[in-house]
Amino acid sequence: MPGLLELQGLDRSFGTIHALQDLTFAVPTGKVVGFLGPNGAGKTTAMRAIFGLVDLDAGAVRWNGDPVDQATRRRFGYMPEERGLYPGMLVGEQVEYLGRLHGMTAVAAMTAATTWLERLGIADRSRSKLEALSHGNQQRVQLAGALVHGPEMLILDEPLAGLDPPGIDAIGAVLRDEARSGTCVLFSSHQLDQVEDLCEEVVIIDHGHLVTAGSVDELATSGSSRLVVRVDEDRDGVWARDLPGATVSEVVGGEVRLVLGEAGDPQLVLRAAMRAGTVSEFVVERRRLSEVFREALA
Amino acid sequence: MSFLVIGAVVVLVAIRVWLRRRRTPRTVAPSPLWLGPFTGDVAMISAREIRERLRGRVLRVGTLIILGVIAAAIVIPVLDKSTSTPEHVGVVGPVTALQAELIRSSSTEVGTDFTLLHVASVGAARAKLRAGQLDFAIVDGRQLMVLAAISPTDSSTNAQLVEALAKNLGIARAIVDAGISPAQASAVLTAKSLPVLALERGSPTKSPVHSVSIFGLVIVFVMLTQYNTWILMGVMDEKSSRVVEVLLAAVRPMQLLAGKVLGIGLVAFAQATLILAFALLLGDAVGSSFLHGTGSATLAATLLWLVLGYAFYCWVYAAAGSTVERQDQVQSLAFPLSLPIIFGYIMAITTVSTGSASGLFKVLAYVPPTAPFAMPVLVGFGEVTWWEFAGSALISIGCTVVVARVASTIYRRAILRTGRRVQLRELFSASSR
Repeated sequence: MPGLLELQGLDRSFGTIHALQDLTFAVPTGKVVGFLGPNGAGKTTAMRAIFGLVDLDAGAVRWNGDPVDQATRRRFGYMPEERGLYPGMLVGEQVEYLGRLHGMTAVAAMTAATTWLERLGIADRSRSKLEALSHGNQQRVQLAGALVHGPEMLILDEPLAGLDPPGIDAIGAVLRDEARSGTCVLFSSHQLDQVEDLCEEVVIIDHGHLVTAGSVDELATSGSSRLVVRVDEDRDGVWARDLPGATVSEVVGGEVRLVLGEAGDPQLVLRAAMRAGTVSEFVVERRRLSEVFREALA
Repeated sequence: MSFLVIGAVVVLVAIRVWLRRRRTPRTVAPSPLWLGPFTGDVAMISAREIRERLRGRVLRVGTLIILGVIAAAIVIPVLDKSTSTPEHVGVVGPVTALQAELIRSSSTEVGTDFTLLHVASVGAARAKLRAGQLDFAIVDGRQLMVLAAISPTDSSTNAQLVEALAKNLGIARAIVDAGISPAQASAVLTAKSLPVLALERGSPTKSPVHSVSIFGLVIVFVMLTQYNTWILMGVMDEKSSRVVEVLLAAVRPMQLLAGKVLGIGLVAFAQATLILAFALLLGDAVGSSFLHGTGSATLAATLLWLVLGYAFYCWVYAAAGSTVERQDQVQSLAFPLSLPIIFGYIMAITTVSTGSASGLFKVLAYVPPTAPFAMPVLVGFGEVTWWEFAGSALISIGCTVVVARVASTIYRRAILRTGRRVQLRELFSASSR
């Protein structure tokens, strides 16, 4: 059943360290939500709090409006930051065992384990011990363990850490498919630019509190617009000087970078450039997530 | 002897079958995860624990080694006794009927056979002793001659026979010198003991030293230290491999902990039962005296307290295991944790050897950490009533419940703290909930 995960006013301190400070956000269904922030921002503590692995000083976690209890958590899938399964246990049995701990019958768990191992391309390692697999394949087994019971909510802590590009693509495809099929997907990362293409929505936190949240498109296009314009006949960008509502930030190799103010108009800039010569490049630049993050902190 | 040959063949066949199965390539197709009749979370966790333990080489090899040691301890003394060569006893001068009878009775007492060899002279006896043809010689019924002086601590068959004969022949000589006829002397020396009339039926466990089996205490000590170390290592392994966070996302800490101690406990008691049954059956089959003196009440009390002792200590070890994540940290924890077990064991062994229980020892029988050793000894001594026994068991069960709750709290707070050994004061400070 599609649902909505809400974290409401989470507070948690460890001695003098405030890991979470009135942290509030929601994770809607059907979208891949990136939970971003630098190392030590409080992402892992918040994720552990969803599973009751950290006692909160204040606040609550709700699923479809109800407090999250043990029965609800069984319908969630979790991949912790510190990866771990039984090193000496067979891969297939391990995934199956996790399915059964989440309430599946023996037959359903076995079937689902086989399906997920095939989908993640490691079915031939089903009878191998986990410790015999490469790091990337162990990561896939871990993901299969989080997905085997068909969770309503999938929470992955740094799932892309240490993966090569094909690995990132494979896990990204699975997350998108799960979100499309109605699963709530929340995953964390401290490498903001690396996951920009994967996220549809982001929640950015720092020092335990919310910095900003919203869709990636919204955040990338909000604030000042940036333009990159190249006029072949004017490599020094003389044409761009004194444009109303636009400021030249840099001119490199014939490319003129402009930051538009509130009164700035891209059409006005384009017309000015065309008057100066042949326009071979005209790009409206999106902000990178890292830039959004820096600007939000500033 | 045929029993041993059959046993050896069975063990060899079992090892060959096991090795062949190991060499057989495994199929790629997945097989259903065997969890037996277990369906609840705790039962499922226990079933996994049992299956992984049974698959592991440590348990199988360890069990085989223990069985081998026990078999050796039971069989070797029997073989040694049955294959011992008779004592070669030289006799210089005539041998009276009384002396012959005393040589026979003394050798029976020591548990050996003998061969009498008549030697012509003392000089010839000396020569044969030096040549190793005689073990010792009796000279004219007045003196025993040996090659090397026998030390007071020598417990060999030869030394025991020489000592018994020297004493018995000396008494016989004194009786004869007192003017009693050889027939009368023989009647005196071979007289039967007087019957003892008891006015009340005595307890079958009145003879403490013989009725309390040290074997039982050793079993409890070895099993408690071994099985609790399994718990310690098992919890530490789950923490260090980080799998515990995945598991705790699905089940409660208490369920995970209970499943683990139950699973390991069932494997442990299956192994303990196998070892005890093997020892009893083998001892009975070869006629060993190894387990003699173990009364059924003592045996039952030992097994019950093995269960209660495990139930008490497993929570302590599980909580301790959750505070560490490296082998060296485990080793530094294992010794202080085992001190109460070592103390209880030493107190029990000392009490069994002295034959009487001190006041302190009786108190220890009601203290859960030492009761698994002290209470079976008191049962063996016949110094405990059924309600005292039940009271001690109830105290142990009550304390186990409290310890389990505290252990669960420690486990929940410590198991996800990685990087260094967790101190107890950190867990119970306000910021550590």
